[in-house]
Amino acid sequence: MCGIIGCAGRESETLDVLVHGLSKLEYRGYDSAGVALAGEGLDVCKTAGEIDDLRAALEERSPSGSVGIGHTRWSTHGPPTDENAHPHLDCNREVAVVHNGIIENYQELRDELSTAGHEFRSDTDTEVVPHLIEDELADGADPEDAVRQAIARLDGSYAVSVVMSGVDRIFAARNDSPLVLGIDSDAYYLASDVPAFRDHTDRVVYLDDGEFAVLDADGYRVTTLDGEPVEKTEDTVDWDPEETGKSGYDHFMLKEIHEQPRALRQCFRGRVDELSGTVDLADLGDLSPRGVQLVACGTSYHAAVYAAQLFQQAGIPAQAFLASEYATSPPPIGDALVIGVTQSGETADTLSALREARKRGARTLAVTNTVGSTVARECDHAMYIRAGPEIGVAATKTFSSQIAALNLLALAITSVGDAREVISGLRDLPGAVQEILDTSTAQEIAETYRDAESYFFIGRGLHYPVALEGALKMKEITYKHAEGFAAGELKHGPLALVTSDTPVFAVVTGDDEMATKTVGNVKEVEARDAPVVAVTDGASDVERYADHVLEVPDTHRRVAAVVANVQLQLVAYHTADMLGRSIDKPRNLAKSVTVE
Amino acid sequence: MSVSTAVVLAAGEGTRLRPLTRNRPKPMLPAANRPILEHVFDALVDAGMDELVCVVGYKHDRVQDHFGPSYRDVPVQYVRQHKQLGSGHALLQARAAVDGPPLVVNGDRLIESSMVEAVAEGFERHDPSAALAVMEHPDAGQYGAVVLENDELTEIIEKPTTGEYRLINAGIYAFDASIFDEIADTPRSAGELALTDTIARLAEREQVRGVRCEGMWVDATYPWDLLTVARTVLARGKVDVTEREEGVWIHDEARVHDAATLRPPVVVGPDSEIGPGAVVGPDAALGYNVTVGANVTVERTVLDADARVDAGSVLVDTVTGQDVDVGAGSVVPGGQADVRVGNEVFEDQRLGAVLADRVTAEGDVSFDPGTLVGPSAHLHTGAHARGQIPDGAEVMR
Repeated sequence: MCGIIGCAGRESETLDVLVHGLSKLEYRGYDSAGVALAGEGLDVCKTAGEIDDLRAALEERSPSGSVGIGHTRWSTHGPPTDENAHPHLDCNREVAVVHNGIIENYQELRDELSTAGHEFRSDTDTEVVPHLIEDELADGADPEDAVRQAIARLDGSYAVSVVMSGVDRIFAARNDSPLVLGIDSDAYYLASDVPAFRDHTDRVVYLDDGEFAVLDADGYRVTTLDGEPVEKTEDTVDWDPEETGKSGYDHFMLKEIHEQPRALRQCFRGRVDELSGTVDLADLGDLSPRGVQLVACGTSYHAAVYAAQLFQQAGIPAQAFLASEYATSPPPIGDALVIGVTQSGETADTLSALREARKRGARTLAVTNTVGSTVARECDHAMYIRAGPEIGVAATKTFSSQIAALNLLALAITSVGDAREVISGLRDLPGAVQEILDTSTAQEIAETYRDAESYFFIGRGLHYPVALEGALKMKEITYKHAEGFAAGELKHGPLALVTSDTPVFAVVTGDDEMATKTVGNVKEVEARDAPVVAVTDGASDVERYADHVLEVPDTHRRVAAVVANVQLQLVAYHTADMLGRSIDKPRNLAKSVTVE
Repeated sequence: MSVSTAVVLAAGEGTRLRPLTRNRPKPMLPAANRPILEHVFDALVDAGMDELVCVVGYKHDRVQDHFGPSYRDVPVQYVRQHKQLGSGHALLQARAAVDGPPLVVNGDRLIESSMVEAVAEGFERHDPSAALAVMEHPDAGQYGAVVLENDELTEIIEKPTTGEYRLINAGIYAFDASIFDEIADTPRSAGELALTDTIARLAEREQVRGVRCEGMWVDATYPWDLLTVARTVLARGKVDVTEREEGVWIHDEARVHDAATLRPPVVVGPDSEIGPGAVVGPDAALGYNVTVGANVTVERTVLDADARVDAGSVLVDTVTGQDVDVGAGSVVPGGQADVRVGNEVFEDQRLGAVLADRVTAEGDVSFDPGTLVGPSAHLHTGAHARGQIPDGAEVMR
C-alpha cells in the first residue's frame, strides 16, 4: 500500500513534479517518502514522515536528473524509518527501486542474495529487487533486460518502478497493484493513481497485469514481461484536477460530507424515471441472478450488508462477506452473482475475493467509484457510483453513493414491477441530506460527549449497517473505542460494557414493529444510566427515552439509512475536530488498501 | 497592468429576501434555474478572468458546496468574512489571496461579461487608482448614485434622497493593489467599512474612472423580485441547458412526458421530471431534480431544486425555496396583493406565494395572493394559507 510517481522529459523540473505528485498521493500512505533522480548519476533522498518532512530534507540538497521516481509509503514490512523508506538501492547505489505491493517470495530471495554477499540495509521486501537487478547487470544484461529478468523472479503483487545511474529511462512493471501512465506531448509520467500527474496531462494509459513499460523523454513503450509488444489504447480522464482541492473547508472529510447531495444526484442521473417507475442500467446487460454474494471491506462492507438485505427483501438469496475472509475460505457459490463493492477499485482483499469467485466460474460485478480501476477491468460488469474523487481516508460520500447505487441495482435486477414509490424516495434523498447539513446539531452532541471513553451504536434491519458504519467512522478519526451492534444483540453480551460514561447512539426511524423493538433496546440501556442519543425522524416515541435527539427528515424507509448515517458522520467529524485529530489522514490508515 | 483576478463579494445574507435566505445567502438564490452567483461567475469567466476569489460569510458552505474548488476550469479560492461589516471589510478579507490589481464585483446581482470587460479595459488603458462601472438607471435613488465629469468620478452617494441623479454605481470595480491599504485607512462608519466610502475618499485625491456600461443588470431586493429576475434571464436566453425549440430549454437529463405542454419561455433543469398533462410556462423555471406531477399548471413561477408538486396543483406567480413539497390539488391562483415585509407594506405586488425551503403543503391547500410561508412550515390537508406564516409553523384546516 503505497503511492508511486515517475516522470521523464521534464529536465530541471523533475524534482518538483515528483514532490507535487507525491503530495497528491499522500492519501495512499504517509509514513515515509522518498525520491530518486537519474541521469548521469543517481541521486536519492528519503525520510520517515510525511511529504512535508521530505520537503524539509530536500531543502538541504536538491537532487537532479532527467528522469525520476518517487514513493510515499504505508508500512507493511518493517516500521516507518529512513532506512525502510523507498527508493531502495543495490549494493553499488546505482539502481533505485520503488514498489507498491507485497513480494511473497522475498524471504527466499533475500536469503539467496545474502548468501551471495549482498548487503541489505532495510527490513523491506522491496529491497530484494535492486539487488536482483544488480546481479543481472553484473552478468552482462543491458539495463532493460536486467529489470525484466529481476521482475520475472518475483511472486506476489507489485507495481515496480526503476531508475539507474547513467540511464535516462524509467522501467516499470505491474502485477496486481495499480499503475497508470500519463502522456503529454513532451513528457511522460507514471503513477499509482491519476491525481499524481493530473495537473500536467489528462491523457492516460492503464497498464494491465504482466505488462512492462519503458519511459523516456521521447516516448513510452509497453510490452509483456517477455518483451512481446502490447498495443495500448489511450484514455482521457474527464475530471478536474481542482476537484482535489478542499474548496474552503478545513478538511477533505467535511468537504466530502457536504458534497453528498450533489454526489447522490450524479448517481441517479439518467438512471431513474419516476414517471414510469423504471430504473435504467442497460449498460449492465441482463443479470437476473438466482442469488447474490457481496464481497467488500471496511465501509464498503457496511454498504454490502445493507444491500444484502435489499436483495433478500426482493426474494433473492443474498449474503455479504468480508472480502479477506471470502478470499481464503469462500462459500459455495452456485450460480450466484458475486458483487465486489470497493470505492477505489484497487482494494487488494476485494480483488482477491473476486478472483477466487471467478476461478470458480462465477459471474462478477464491480460497484466502484473509479473508472478504469482494476476491479472495473477484471469484473464481467461494472457499475459506477459517480461520487467524484474522495480524498479523506474516512469514507463518507462514497458510502451514501454506494447505498444509492446498490438500491438502483436491486431495483433493476429484481424487477418487482412498479418501483415508483422507491424511486420517489431516492429522488427525495439529496434534499433530505441537505436538510441535515443545514440543521444538524451534531456539533453540540460531539461537544457533550467528546470525553466519553467508549461509544456504542445500535440499529436494526437496514439501520444495522448504519450502526456499524457510525462506529467505524468514530474509531477511524477519533481513535476512541466505538462499536456498532444489531440492537437486539446488545442484551446478549455487550450490555455489560454499558455505563454512564458510554453514550449509545440509537438509530430508529419510522414507527413499525422494528422501531418498537429498537425502542425496547433503548430502554434497556437507559435503565443502565447510559446517555442515549436517538437518531430519529420522530415517528416513534424513542425521544422519551433519549437524552439527546439528532433529527432526520421523514423519508422512505429504504433511504432512511443514508440520512441517519450523515448525522453520525458529522458527530464523528466534530468529535475528532475537537480532539485535534488528523482527520484526513488518521494514524495507521490509508485510503485504499492495496495489500492483503 | 492587466486585471485577471476577480474578487466576488458573496458574504451577505440579503435580509430583505427572507424567508428565502434562511439556509443560504442571497447570491445562491435562483435566477431562473441556477444561482445568481453562477451568472456572476459566468460573466467573469467569459470576460477572461483566470482566478476567482470568493468572499463568503453567511451560510458559506452553500457557496463552497455548489462551486467546489473550480468553476469552468477556473480555480476558485474561498476566504471567510466572519462578521459582515460592510463591503470594504469584505474585500479586505481577500487581501492575502490577491496579488496584482483585483477586479471586484458583488455576487448578488446579475451582470454581463461586456461590463466586466469594459471596466478591466478602462482600468488597463487609463491606469487610474480605480475604475467602476456606471449605468443609467431610472431608480438611481434605490442604489448608489454617482456623478461623472469627463469620465472621472466626482461624487458617489448611497441611496440619495433627492431625485437629480441618473447614473448608478453598477458594483463592478477594478482597483490598484493599493486599495487594501486605502480600505484599512478608511474610518469605520457605524462600525462598518463600506467600499463606497473608500472610493469617495480616493476620488478626492486620485483619479477614479467611471466606465459607462449598458446591458443586463438585475438586482433582487425582495422575494417577488426573483420572478422578474427569472423573466429577464429567460427573455435574454441566459440559460445553460439545451434549447429544444425557441424559448424551451430542457436539460438532457430531464424527463418530460410526451403529453405535457411546455409554453415558452421555460427552462427545465437536470434530473427534473414533468408528468402527463402538465402545463409548464410561460416564464417558468425549474431547477435541479424538480418533480411536476400529472396535470399540474406552473406559470410565472420559479421552482428551486428538489421541489415536488403533486398531481393537479396550480402554481402561478410563485417562488419556492429548495425541497418544497406541494401536495395534490393545491392552488396558488396568483394575482396582486399587498405584501408586508418587516414593518413595510408593499402595495399591489404581483405575487402568488413564496414558499421557503422545505415547506410541506399536504394537499388541497389554497394560498391567498401575497402569502409568505417560512421554512419547514407544515400546511395540513385542506388548509388555507394567507399573510405571513412563521418558520416551522403547523397550519391546520
